[in-house]
Amino acid sequence: MSNTRENTSTGILPTSELAQHGGSGAVASLPSGPRRRRRTGWAMRLEIALLAGPAALVFIAFVIFPVVIAAYYGFFRWQGYGPATDFIGLQNYITILEDSAFQQALWHNFLIVIGSLVLQGPVAILLALLLNRKMRGQSLIRVLIFVPYVIAEVVVGTGWSLMLATNGALNGMLKNLGLDFLVHDWLSDPNIAIWTLLAILTWKYVGFAVILFLAGLQGIPEELYEAAALDGASYWQIQRRIALPLLGPTLRIWAFLSIIGALQLFDLVYIIWGQYVASTAGTSTMATYMVANGRNAGNFGYGNAVAVVIFLISLIVALFYQRFVLRRDTAGAITGDRRTGRKNR
Amino acid sequence: MKGTKLLTGAAVVMAGALALTGCSGGSDSSSSNGKVSMTLWQNSTTGPGQEFWKNAVAAFEKANPNVSIKVQSIQNEDLDGKLQTALNSGDAPDIFLQRGGGKMAAMVNAGQLMDITGKVSSETKKNISEGSFKAETYQDKVWAMPIAVLPGGLFYSQDLFKAAGITDAPKTIDDLNSDVTKLKATGVSPIALGAKDAWPAAHWFYWFALRECAGSTMEKTADSKSFSDGCWLKAAEDLQKFSETKPFNDGFLTTSAQQGAGSSAGLVANHQAAMELMGAWDPGVIASLTPDQKPLPDLGFYPFPEVSGGKGEPGSIMGGVDGYSCSVKAPKECADFLNFIAGTDQQEAYYKAFNAPPVNAEAQKVVTEPYLKDVLKAYNAAPYVSQWLDTVLGQNVGNALNVAVVDMLAGKSDPKQLIQAANDAAKKG
Repeated sequence: MSNTRENTSTGILPTSELAQHGGSGAVASLPSGPRRRRRTGWAMRLEIALLAGPAALVFIAFVIFPVVIAAYYGFFRWQGYGPATDFIGLQNYITILEDSAFQQALWHNFLIVIGSLVLQGPVAILLALLLNRKMRGQSLIRVLIFVPYVIAEVVVGTGWSLMLATNGALNGMLKNLGLDFLVHDWLSDPNIAIWTLLAILTWKYVGFAVILFLAGLQGIPEELYEAAALDGASYWQIQRRIALPLLGPTLRIWAFLSIIGALQLFDLVYIIWGQYVASTAGTSTMATYMVANGRNAGNFGYGNAVAVVIFLISLIVALFYQRFVLRRDTAGAITGDRRTGRKNR
Repeated sequence: MKGTKLLTGAAVVMAGALALTGCSGGSDSSSSNGKVSMTLWQNSTTGPGQEFWKNAVAAFEKANPNVSIKVQSIQNEDLDGKLQTALNSGDAPDIFLQRGGGKMAAMVNAGQLMDITGKVSSETKKNISEGSFKAETYQDKVWAMPIAVLPGGLFYSQDLFKAAGITDAPKTIDDLNSDVTKLKATGVSPIALGAKDAWPAAHWFYWFALRECAGSTMEKTADSKSFSDGCWLKAAEDLQKFSETKPFNDGFLTTSAQQGAGSSAGLVANHQAAMELMGAWDPGVIASLTPDQKPLPDLGFYPFPEVSGGKGEPGSIMGGVDGYSCSVKAPKECADFLNFIAGTDQQEAYYKAFNAPPVNAEAQKVVTEPYLKDVLKAYNAAPYVSQWLDTVLGQNVGNALNVAVVDMLAGKSDPKQLIQAANDAAKKG
């Protein structure tokens, strides 16, 4: 609908229209048939209330309410016993921002965000392009790549921490292969631990990216490839000029999910490094900082303030991303593009 | 139009919220027909440990047919956090492990514990020393039943010491340093350290502090939470100097204390490390991690070595008394159960199950293992007994100090920064 701009800029027909032309996937883009007739006010209101009510209720009870309560407790010095009475204003927030342990955690989060994008993105694209071709054992490879994503975090964390321990399987194998110079304290050495974490994250989540990209690639109609091939384009030219640009929306959504996931990373770190030593090993994240200084220390007021800071950072990143990167993909749905908005109503 | 929509939405939300609050009634511990049911949280995950609680509950239920107790075993490192959450949400277990010190004081101040001062039976009082009750007393009232005395010290493998040519257990830090060198030459890790759980590493600092600081200084610091006395810095420097010889097992930072063969207790149990600094629960933990899951036959014990020039009284000892508390909401039968497990029969069973010294004086007589006898000897001869420092200092400072010690041992900070981190923690709580 609103793809005219993209049309001219890339010189390629937008996916949705193509799908209509090809008649394959019925991408819901055009209003289907004549608009429903308006029903009388109350019946419609009841229907809206019934349909949206449960979701709104759950959202308010488990998202909005906890955020508001966390913001409230963040202003108190509170040990979690009895009601909070010791109001200290913004003192918790000042302490957080001045705490070098929090700054380190924030830096680690930043590294993980960048590292996830830089490592997982290209690997996943190559794997997706590979798996998009007809080949023997295709479904087996797809399953193998996707398996790590499906395994529970606890299992992954426990397994890797056993294998990568100083006397674990990996170092044992390296020693037996005579590669003693490669033996490291993979988890305990503060100079290495963050890279170990990034490697595990890549292994675990690359499958998710591959599946997303594969779905995106399947949505690109065959005709485009055929036309390009007829015009004499090579395989890589086709991937570079057709597959990648049309994969854009999928890529941007994946990057969004990856960034948010990296900002909130908690479980793998908590399982591999436990409750206490993540900051020492240089793998602490904002979320592990929150648990260490909130729950473990029994400072629930302070912990709530950290939660609010994490929430605000995630929110700002998410809003910026939606405003500047995702806008053309989600126009009208989230950002409320006025042009299309008016047309629809 | 828009307004009515909003109103409708709000009405739906309100109705739902009411429905939600309607479902959140508390769980009653006793019902109307005279039957009483209680829940118990304990921290043993070993076979014999869980067996002990099962048998104790079964015996108590047999004697009191109207009572039923559900035992829940919670991994030691998870227990404190879960317990605090449960206590704060008003859904606490009726009977639970009590670590004492600052944590107990916080629970008392929040009105979460049952006062059992008048409920300790005369028989229990006869068999359990007043000193043990002192650890469970706050503001002149008793809040928990002591079950085991768990003083700390070094548990070691006599075979590995012999193999390294060490004849006598070290008495001073200099002795220990030279023993570390000898043990290293035989290819084993001299000392196992479960720094992943932070507190085992911090215990090293606490013991040095016990040797460097006078008892009165430690008590003053527990109140003021200010580590300005020079003895604290001295203790941190002692520990850093001691750790410079790399006496701990490789990768100690990600070694846990009690979980599996790769944990510090597991390394001792499998003769991969010669010793570890622990509380007297350690023989039981080690026993559960030996290849045949039986007590380590060559296990020995010696008290923490003396430091020359320290202000602490020589022979001072640190340790906890493990107790069990009743929640303030628990039925009165809870106190009966506490008296029951403090009785001589149950205490003997406790000693056998946990391989740890019981608190009951009659039951202590049946202790046969030389290392447990040594533990009790050191404990009874000590001129000064302190609780574990992280317990004394309270959760906030104790937690910060534990992590600060790990940071220093990992080379991330120095003694001055360690003391600074402990002082800084006060800002967050």
